[in-house]
Amino acid sequence: MKIFLMPPNSLILYDLVERFGHEPLSLMQGLREKVTSNEIEAPPLNVTLDDVKKGLKYAGIEIPSGIRGRLAVYGPLIDQAEAAIFMEAAPYSFGCVGCQRTNELAKLLVRKRKVPILTLTYPENEEEAKSMVVRVKEFLEGLK
Amino acid sequence: MDSNIETRLIFIAPSSDLTPDQIARFVHNMGNGVTVKETCYGAVLEGPRDDVRRTRDELRKLDPNRIFSKVRAFPVGDIRRCRAHHGSRPGFAQLEKEWKDLCLIEKGLICVEKGERPPEPRKKGKMPVTDLKKLIDEVTP
Repeated sequence: MKIFLMPPNSLILYDLVERFGHEPLSLMQGLREKVTSNEIEAPPLNVTLDDVKKGLKYAGIEIPSGIRGRLAVYGPLIDQAEAAIFMEAAPYSFGCVGCQRTNELAKLLVRKRKVPILTLTYPENEEEAKSMVVRVKEFLEGLK
Repeated sequence: MDSNIETRLIFIAPSSDLTPDQIARFVHNMGNGVTVKETCYGAVLEGPRDDVRRTRDELRKLDPNRIFSKVRAFPVGDIRRCRAHHGSRPGFAQLEKEWKDLCLIEKGLICVEKGERPPEPRKKGKMPVTDLKKLIDEVTP
């Protein structure tokens, strides 16, 4: 099954989802085509006008263009998601306020799809880590 | 770029005895046409998707609970990201944090392997007012 991750580029979640036999939907896959496209001589690092338009499918016109541009990448992944894992309480260094707001909106879009969701927090000690990995395994096994 | 080409990051957990050099040599010895670049946290692999995944599986056998991986959007040595070309690495803070947490995840994987039931982690409560008062008293003259 295809599992949407939050943070969408999390190493820990990507590895655990693959390890337990599912397909992770990550930001890296979404960006891959964008940054390696041969059609554009210098593929863009930032959002393009087209992205902002595509993002309109996922966010209203009043939402800042940076968030809509990010959602143009996240959105198709959310559409494919059959389940999701959210990891909360990420350190501030994980991204700017724009990233945080996009993540909030992405989580809302996933919840609206009514797919199974597992919400966790970043582990701070051994006990929490054990509980986290066991919960991820049980959640993923339950999906099969 | 061919859509069948995959770039993958290989991370060695801080608690592992393996070194990035060992990983790179191991991949070279496999001789399956996968490009490997040694990095501070492990290695970057690039090549046809199936070959890269096979290499990842072989690498995992070296230290199953301490080798982690994820795909990467940018190709190996891409000048927009490669440090040798003064590329930026905006996701590094996250990678660094998650890399440090890998030794905790390793404990979780061992727990799953043994089929143990982990103890329920204690719920974090709010700091009692008395403790906060003590802290304030300590820093105020």
